[in-house]
Amino acid sequence: MPLLCQQWETTVGPVTARGRKNTAHRAVAHLDTTTAHRAAAHLDTTTAHRAAAPHVGDPVAAVAAIDERTAEAALKLIEVEYEELPPLLDPFEATAEGAPLIHDQYPRNINTHVEQCFGDLDKAFAESHLVREETFTGNHIYQCPLEPHAAISYWEHDGTLVLYTSTQVPHYVQYMVAHVFHMPLGKIRVIRPAVGGGFGGKAATCPLDLCAAILARKTGRPVKMVYSREEMFHYGRGRHKQHMRFKLGVDRDGRIKAFKSEIYLDGGAYSSFGVATAYYAGSMIPTLYNIPNYRYDGYRVMTNKPAAGAMRGHGVPQPRFAFECLLTMIADELGIDPIEIRRRNSMRPNTRTVNDLDVGSCEFDATLEAVAKKSGWAEKYGKLPRGKGIGVGAGGFVSGAGYCIYRGQVQLSHEKPREHFQKRSIFPHANAVVRISEDGMAAILMIGAAEIGQGSDTILVQCCAEALGIPVSRVRIHSQDSDISPLDLGAYSSRVTLMAGHAVSRAGWDVADKMKPYAAKMLGCDASQVVARDAKFFVAKTESGATAVSAVVGAGAHCSQSSGTRPNHAPSTVAWEEVARQYFNDNGPLVGTGCYKPPEGLGGDFKGATVGTSPAYSFGSAVCEVSVDLETGKVRVERFTDFHDCGTPINPRAVHGQVEGAIVMSAGETIMEDVQFDEKGRILNPNLHGYAMMSIKDAPQIFSGLVESYEPRGPFGAKEIGEGSTLPVLGAVAHAIANATGVWIKDLPITPEKILNALREKSPTPVRGAAYAASSSR
Amino acid sequence: MYIPNVELHECESVEQAGALLTRYGSSARLLAGGTDLLVDLKTARTATAHLVSLKRVAALRGIKLETASQSNNGYLRIGALTTVAEIDANPLVRTQYAPLCDATRDMATVQVRNLATIGGNLASAVPCADLPPILIVLGASVELWSAGGSRTVGLDRFFLGPRKTDIRPGEVLIAIRIPTIPPGFGAAYSRFALRNGNAIAVASVAASLALGNGGSITQARVALGAVAPTPAVVDRAAGALIGKTPGEDAFHAAALAAQTTSAPISDVRGSAEYRRELVAVLTRRALGAAAQRATESLT
Repeated sequence: MPLLCQQWETTVGPVTARGRKNTAHRAVAHLDTTTAHRAAAHLDTTTAHRAAAPHVGDPVAAVAAIDERTAEAALKLIEVEYEELPPLLDPFEATAEGAPLIHDQYPRNINTHVEQCFGDLDKAFAESHLVREETFTGNHIYQCPLEPHAAISYWEHDGTLVLYTSTQVPHYVQYMVAHVFHMPLGKIRVIRPAVGGGFGGKAATCPLDLCAAILARKTGRPVKMVYSREEMFHYGRGRHKQHMRFKLGVDRDGRIKAFKSEIYLDGGAYSSFGVATAYYAGSMIPTLYNIPNYRYDGYRVMTNKPAAGAMRGHGVPQPRFAFECLLTMIADELGIDPIEIRRRNSMRPNTRTVNDLDVGSCEFDATLEAVAKKSGWAEKYGKLPRGKGIGVGAGGFVSGAGYCIYRGQVQLSHEKPREHFQKRSIFPHANAVVRISEDGMAAILMIGAAEIGQGSDTILVQCCAEALGIPVSRVRIHSQDSDISPLDLGAYSSRVTLMAGHAVSRAGWDVADKMKPYAAKMLGCDASQVVARDAKFFVAKTESGATAVSAVVGAGAHCSQSSGTRPNHAPSTVAWEEVARQYFNDNGPLVGTGCYKPPEGLGGDFKGATVGTSPAYSFGSAVCEVSVDLETGKVRVERFTDFHDCGTPINPRAVHGQVEGAIVMSAGETIMEDVQFDEKGRILNPNLHGYAMMSIKDAPQIFSGLVESYEPRGPFGAKEIGEGSTLPVLGAVAHAIANATGVWIKDLPITPEKILNALREKSPTPVRGAAYAASSSR
Repeated sequence: MYIPNVELHECESVEQAGALLTRYGSSARLLAGGTDLLVDLKTARTATAHLVSLKRVAALRGIKLETASQSNNGYLRIGALTTVAEIDANPLVRTQYAPLCDATRDMATVQVRNLATIGGNLASAVPCADLPPILIVLGASVELWSAGGSRTVGLDRFFLGPRKTDIRPGEVLIAIRIPTIPPGFGAAYSRFALRNGNAIAVASVAASLALGNGGSITQARVALGAVAPTPAVVDRAAGALIGKTPGEDAFHAAALAAQTTSAPISDVRGSAEYRRELVAVLTRRALGAAAQRATESLT
């Protein structure tokens, strides 16, 4: 059976709409697919369509055909007549009095307004020794995963929908498809093949998932849909561009008294994850520093652009960039070393933040000390020649969102009304099954955790092997098929290591516990004395005393001293597989299960208090060194020194890989990336030629280090790294550039042209570190 | 994105290509490396019914030193189908025409350099192309073959507009000639791009100069890329430089002349004002590097 291919009709597509295409805000007045349907008779095409297009590139119709060329030909036969409306391209235009509404349900185009206030701001500012207010602007960033969004769908004869999709969140896709098609979750099989990166852009059900399924039903054949690179930009779901007005008050010693944040988030034409984004932009600021008084006003605003969504660091990198810059400006103004001012305000372990988040383990101070030492900060800061700069930034993130995006239990969504939110998880967020092969030589690990290139399959196999007491080479993982593997919520909010790590290790321990009585019988001891490690069972004491017990495995940690009672002829070890075979002989399949629910009662009781809750928080610091060509403004990011508190790493190499990737990605985001729009809302650079990401030739030398840390709520002491590693980067780069040039660039990206213009304006904010006495440049 | 229906003709000789061009006229395009043309066809920036491929014409490949004769002082002859990577790696180029490597070294990506040809880079006449400015200041010319006879055109007169050249119907660009670089002559190419790998030039400047016995400039050329509809020759540069000693004052005057010649546009990579600014900086830098090479060649 041939695969059918699909193309979108979009405003930049080949369809002419009487000279009225390519404008951002249109109601689709008329869409005539009859010609295409007539063509369908001999071209073998099928269409599906809809009737609104609030941004350029928003699809209005889908065509399936026998091949892609035929689909393109059919597209040209579709007549679309658009009623053109004036585009709203930034949140200030969109919230202005009298602006047209993009969606009727959002007055003044405000999609979400967050208002959170903790403490007495007026009093705290009045008591501050120094108050500084600055405005910062972010940029439109797109994830640009190497692999485009893609879906293949077909329907089984029994009515089961099968959907292959390039996604980070197979379960949410399954749930959303059930919701849209009003069919039971159990009738939907989602398969996530190897995914070529997501970074948040694949954290939701994509139109391809739904259209492929609809067209597959209409045609009775498998349908494949793939975005082109340009269509990916038009689909969007990249970072929100944030317009930030920050006010920070400190005492004489640089200790934070109060912080006020007002942010307008440019949301694009749809909600996507934007409500959560708007909350995250505020909630994660007080996790890093002790901020006794805090106010946050966030407005997520609809505009006629592709929807912004969740991207690595979800909502936080731009406010974190702005906050780090502001804190450094204040440090320079007070003559306090920027690393020292961070130490004076740094988060302590076991603290409840001002916005009611429970920080457990925290080695933020250790990361600051380590980057200062390793980078040679004291010898460099303030002592570099003009054009050379060094800067510091810090950041941290949740290790998994405390609560699920949807409420209630797993069910057909229209079965009953949405449940009220409660501060506990109804069902486990991560679930694993381990089955041991009948000869005991292999463990099959099943969990729906989404491997998207970040290495989650690797670390989950490690966790499972550790719990079972066998080498990783004996564990195989199946994480790709919802028919095989139980629910895991997916790869977002940096949750997999902590949550899925718990589920798989618990499943492993479940297996080990079932084997212990058999091992004990063979070893001639009590089951509680038995330890599994290196594919053997043994009595804890006989190896090398209590220290032989693996601290991370935990099983057998309470071994008694009674091993002396073992019969003399009993073996000192037995092969792991032999114990498994004995179990199978008596009981049939050797299977263990494990699951993880986040702790109950996380967070405060105010509106939005749950966004930012997490079992654990990561912390990190980075020092960046740059050289700036003062004649062209071009920045060379030369060196990065990064230390992270990610708890106890399961796989240090994977951690360093995340850090290195985050530095290259975020440094590029700081100095070169920007999706640009024209006055009609058309993207000017929807390709990897015009949208510049950092290439390997631009990448800095990177030192990634870890500080010692143990998180009691994490599996084997681990916390997250994937998203938190992006957060220190932007501020560190911005500070290093300011340090090299004597000018702060407060709107991203910090392009050579902006640097040159700022140098020419010659009203730089003083930066202590920069030796810019000779600033009579140009 | 598909290449629309086109007929591909694989040629074994220039004569065969010429015959096809004559037969199909304006409905045919020559295909060399294809790194520009195939992309343009896919994105419907251009259309053609026939692609006349030169890839199998072995005679169009290769780099050779032609010795001096009565009519010239010798030159380097580069076949039009020679790839940028082949030029960049060629020992003759590296030792005797090093300034050319300023442009070949950082152009596009490894993959593009392995496919893109020097003939294609010139014949496409894209304003931001990297090879034209440096070839112009090296005094290069192109050999244009046609069934009716061949002619040689100086590169400084070759570009007529964006994507428009002096190639006439039925003509094939078969080779590039670069005159022998004499002692006391130096050239350099200075480009600015927003990143170091795989980025097209925001602005670029090539400069060459010759030094006389007293150390003063006897001959000078400056050419610009990405800041005008065509690779632009700065006519007034010679006036600003000849007779002067290489140095900031002379270079500054030439930089002002270059800025006057430039007619940049604003786009996603930078504003016109910024490009004009870059032209001055890059002109000074290219002249500085050229002067250094000229001086070194005398010692």
